[in-house]
Amino acid sequence: MLATGWLTACLVMQVLPAGPIETGRGTVTISGEITATAGEKDQSAYFNFTDYEHNALRMFRLSVSGMWRPSPRFAFLTEVRSENVERMIPYALYVRVRPWMSRPFDIQAGRIPPVFGTFARRSYGTDNALIGYPLAYQYLTSVRPDAVPANADDLLMMRGRGWRVTYPVGNKTPGPGVPIVTAYRWDTGVEASYAGETVEGAFSVTSGTLSNPRVDDDNDGRQLAGRVAWHPAIGLTLGASGARGAFVDRAIVDAYEAPLGPHDYTQDAIGVDGEYSRGYWLVRGEAIFSRWALPKINMPFIDRPLDARTAYVEARYRFTPRLFAALRADTLGFSKISGQRFFGGQPTPWDAPVTRVELGGGVNIQRNLTLRTVVQHNWRDGGRVHERTYVSGQLSYWF
Amino acid sequence: MRAIFAAAVVACFAVSATLPVASFRLPAAGFALPAAGLRLPASGSAKVGVIRGRVDVRIGPSADVRPDPASLGMGNTRDAQDRRRSVVFLESFPRGAFERVPSDRHARMDQKNERFVPHVLAIAAGTWVDFPNGDRTYHNVFSLSKTKEFNLGRYAAGHSESVKFDQPGIVRVFCEIHSHMNAFIVVIAHRFFATTDDEGRYQIDGLPPGTYSLSVWNESIRGDPPKRTVTMGDAGDVDAVDFVIR
Repeated sequence: MLATGWLTACLVMQVLPAGPIETGRGTVTISGEITATAGEKDQSAYFNFTDYEHNALRMFRLSVSGMWRPSPRFAFLTEVRSENVERMIPYALYVRVRPWMSRPFDIQAGRIPPVFGTFARRSYGTDNALIGYPLAYQYLTSVRPDAVPANADDLLMMRGRGWRVTYPVGNKTPGPGVPIVTAYRWDTGVEASYAGETVEGAFSVTSGTLSNPRVDDDNDGRQLAGRVAWHPAIGLTLGASGARGAFVDRAIVDAYEAPLGPHDYTQDAIGVDGEYSRGYWLVRGEAIFSRWALPKINMPFIDRPLDARTAYVEARYRFTPRLFAALRADTLGFSKISGQRFFGGQPTPWDAPVTRVELGGGVNIQRNLTLRTVVQHNWRDGGRVHERTYVSGQLSYWF
Repeated sequence: MRAIFAAAVVACFAVSATLPVASFRLPAAGFALPAAGLRLPASGSAKVGVIRGRVDVRIGPSADVRPDPASLGMGNTRDAQDRRRSVVFLESFPRGAFERVPSDRHARMDQKNERFVPHVLAIAAGTWVDFPNGDRTYHNVFSLSKTKEFNLGRYAAGHSESVKFDQPGIVRVFCEIHSHMNAFIVVIAHRFFATTDDEGRYQIDGLPPGTYSLSVWNESIRGDPPKRTVTMGDAGDVDAVDFVIR
C-alpha cells in the first residue's frame, strides 16, 4: 500500500499543450493564438482604438501561423488574423531564405515583419507584458496619408481626434489617422538580417511606411528602414533604428507638384530601444522620434514638418511560477505650429499630447493559457475627453 | 451574435486547454501490492536478477518549433527532439524498495543549443536536479506541473540552479524565453526503473525472484500504457520484455 498513489500521480500527464501541429514529415508546422479581451465600451475618448472600429482593450482576436520549410535553406511563412470575428486577413506572407547555412544571414520577401523598433514583432497576446499597446505603436495621431490639411488651422482643428479625421485635401471621407509605427499591419518588400552573437542588424526596402504599411504602393515611393542591436552582456540588448519613406498619397503629391514644385513628403523616424532581464525581472523601453512632411498649401502654412516624440518604459516581475505583475509608463508629444483661428494664434502642439500609465497582473493558468487584468489611465491635453481610466481583462491561449 | 460566437470559441479553447494532452488512465485496481514475501536481498546476495527488453517507439522526431513569422531570420539550427526515449518501471515492487535516497543525490539536465539535454530524465524521488545553462543566452527554466511547480528565473551561461523533486510524478519542464524548449522529468518513488537508450533498450537490475508488473512511460502514449507481467524465478534474469508504442 505504501506507494499505491504514487503511480497515479506519475501517470497522469501534465496539463500542457502538445505544441505546434506538425505534418508533412515535420516540414509543415501550424500554431495559433486566441485572445479574448473584455473591457468597457468607449465611444467618446478612443484612447485605445487601432482604427475607427477596433479597440485594443475590447477585442477578440484569432490568429493562425503556418510555416512550410521544405529545406533548411527555405521557409514559407504566413500568419492570418481575424479581429472581432471579421474576415481573416493575411498579416504576414513571405518567403525566408538562408543563402549560406553556416552564416546567420537571412533574406525575407513578401509581407514581412518590420525591422524598426521591437514592439511590432512581439505584439502577440503572449508576448505583451500588459494588454494595451505602447502609444507609439497604437495611438492614432491626426495625420493621414490620403488626406492632408490645407493649412495649420485644419490640422489644429483635428487635435485629439485621430480616430476620425477629415481634411479638405485628398480623400474627404472621415477616417482614422495613423500611429507612429503600426503594430497592426505589416509592410510589403524585402529585408535582410544578420544575427551575430553580440551584434545583429536588419535592413528593409518596403512599399509603405512605418505608420502606413501597404501591400499596394500608393505613391511609387520606397521606404528604407534598418535596425542594429548590440548585446554587450547576456540579458542586455541595446538597439537603434531608422526609417525613411514616401508617405503622402500620389494623388495629393501630383495635384500639388505644379504649384509647389517637387517635394519629398516623407515619414522619417529614428528610435532607440533597450531590454534588460535578470532573475524574475524584465525591463524594456523605447524612444522614437518621427517626422512627417506635408504639402504647404494655404495660409497659415504648416511651415515645418510635423514632429512626434514618444517613449515608454515597461517592467514585468514574476512573483511565483504562475503570478506576475507589469507596469508601463508612456508618453507622446508633438511639435508646435501656429494657426489663426485656434489657440489665439499661439504656437500649439499640432496634436494633443498623451500620457498613459498601465498597471496589470496576471496568472498563468497553464503555460499556454494566461489570464490578465489591467488598469490603464490616460491623460490628453486636448480632444473631446481629456482623461479616462479603463479596466480590461484578457484570456489568451496559444498552441 | 459575434460576441456569443467569440465567447463560445474561447470557452472551447479554455476547456480544451485544461485537458491533458497525453494522459494515462489506469484501472482503479491497477497497482499490484508488493509481491508477498518478497524482500530485497541483502547486499552481496546472489539471488538477484535483471529484466531486459526493448521499447519500440514508432513515432518520428519532432522539432517542436512554432512558426515564427515575427522573426527576422531562421534562428539557430536545432536538433530534432527525440521522442523515442521511454522510461520502464515496476508497478509492483519488492519490499524495501523505498529506502531513502541520499539527500545529496544529484541528476543533471543541461540547456544546450536551446534544448534540454536529456529530453527525458528519470530520477528517484528525493533527487536534486541541476539545470546548468550551457548557452550564450539567458534561459528561464520553469514548470507549472502539479508534481513540482517552480521557476528558476533568468540566468546566464555558466550558472546553474537546482530543484529537489520530492514527489513522484511527471514534471514537464519549459523555458519561458524559448517556447520550443521542453523536457520531462519522471520522478519515481523507488529505484526500479530504467530509461531506454538510443536503440530503445533498457535493463532493470537487482530484483529478487518474484512476479512483477512492468509499465512504460513515453510522452507520445495516449490512454492506457502498455504493461507486462514478468515472473522471475530463482534462475535470475528475464530477457525480451518488449513494448511497442505506436
